[in-house]
Amino acid sequence: MAFEARVIDRSYATVHSALIGEHPTIRKLRALIERVARQDVTVLITGESGVGKEIVAQAIHDSSPRRDNPFVPVNCAALPHDLLESEMFGHQRGAFTGAATNRAGLFMSAGGGTIFLDEISEMPLGLQVKLLRVLEDGMVRPVGSDRGLRVDVRVIAATNADLNAMIARNAFREDLFYRLQVVPIVIPPLRERRSDIPLLVDHFLAQARVRHPGARPLRVSDEAMVHLWSYDWPGNVRELENLVERMIILCESDTIEVSLLPPNIANQSRTADEIPEKLDERGIDLNKLVKSIEGRLINQALRQTGGNKQAAARLLGLKRTTFAAKLRRCGVISPSDAD
Amino acid sequence: MDDAERVAQIMVIDDDPDTVKILAHYLRREGFNPVEATSGAEGLRLLAETRIDLILLDLMMPDMDGFAVMRELKKDPMTAEIPVIMVTARDDLNARSEGMGLGVADFLAKPVFRKQLGNRIRAQLEMVATGRATSAALSRLEASQAKRP
Repeated sequence: MAFEARVIDRSYATVHSALIGEHPTIRKLRALIERVARQDVTVLITGESGVGKEIVAQAIHDSSPRRDNPFVPVNCAALPHDLLESEMFGHQRGAFTGAATNRAGLFMSAGGGTIFLDEISEMPLGLQVKLLRVLEDGMVRPVGSDRGLRVDVRVIAATNADLNAMIARNAFREDLFYRLQVVPIVIPPLRERRSDIPLLVDHFLAQARVRHPGARPLRVSDEAMVHLWSYDWPGNVRELENLVERMIILCESDTIEVSLLPPNIANQSRTADEIPEKLDERGIDLNKLVKSIEGRLINQALRQTGGNKQAAARLLGLKRTTFAAKLRRCGVISPSDAD
Repeated sequence: MDDAERVAQIMVIDDDPDTVKILAHYLRREGFNPVEATSGAEGLRLLAETRIDLILLDLMMPDMDGFAVMRELKKDPMTAEIPVIMVTARDDLNARSEGMGLGVADFLAKPVFRKQLGNRIRAQLEMVATGRATSAALSRLEASQAKRP
């Protein structure tokens, strides 16, 4: 069996990158994590993919009294259902075809430490019952054995699924959910805390310098930072980290400019109302495009005149009353949306 | 009233009364309770007497612009954590850059679309709710520890 607990050897800085930020919610999250580490309770971490659920689990372990014992991550989605049980709880020789020797499962390997059950929503219902028993009596039962073995492990589970919805359609056990969620930790997506993006970017740049001490210091131009700030980051902190690494490699000066950003990030605020070079089969919505361009020019005029509507109207060659009407229609209001 | 059932109160600060009216209409359609202000000063005054969950702030206003309002909000601990969505021109990079530095939570480009407005507001309110749930979990943990001998 090739599946082994991964060896975790990362710097403190990397491990805690999910927790970097000054958003009030992130500060509260850090306080909760620090506190939960000291208490030996089961934790359920929820958050979208890439927010750093494993990083948080690792941070809890690293600050807990169990820190000198193993931290064993298990991805419940990465193993076939029928293998997951023997991987977790071990098996006895002859328990099934191919079980040539006794094998201690990951719970036993995590003895004295922490087991991190990622993507817990993917655990089959039959195994959920067995996990619940382990949580209740602290005994694991290897496959093919009728004797339970005592194990001292802290369980941290994580998911990006809506477990409440799964419970409602009987795809996840409610009793296990409550047993896991002694302390719920919710990690917000990056787009809900954009103000932390510059801090994270600086952190990833600094980290790259730690890894490559000879490298020159890099900064991100204000314009590029605005684009990073405005992007929605569906892959969350992990996507941002990967992008910063990519930009470091590609950057040939001391400043990361917009030109280095991938098109989906650099063009996000403009693509919708740019005039296409060639009309494709899908065509365009002329009215919408014209209104959008009109709105942009009105904004441009207002900006140049410091908000003076009369002067802005003059710049655009419009009568003040016409301008006022257009402003109402386009300045801030989407005409296609007003109903 | 229980927080979960409460309708979120969203303040609109914009010097153009028609814009305020239409944004308020959008907010009601998206299930929020609008609180209207046609100047930064009026907004700040209303904030002292009303519980506001989020502020939609126009950047370009006479007397006190959006940045000045932002600085006042951040000065007062009572208002410093209220998320602010600033309404700016689509490609006004300088304004966005300055807003980022002042702690703006998000930007909306003009023209504002109702659905997008609703989604951006819900994302910020979700974040506030996560913060509250996190504080609650911390308090429960501390209480349970205090009970132990």
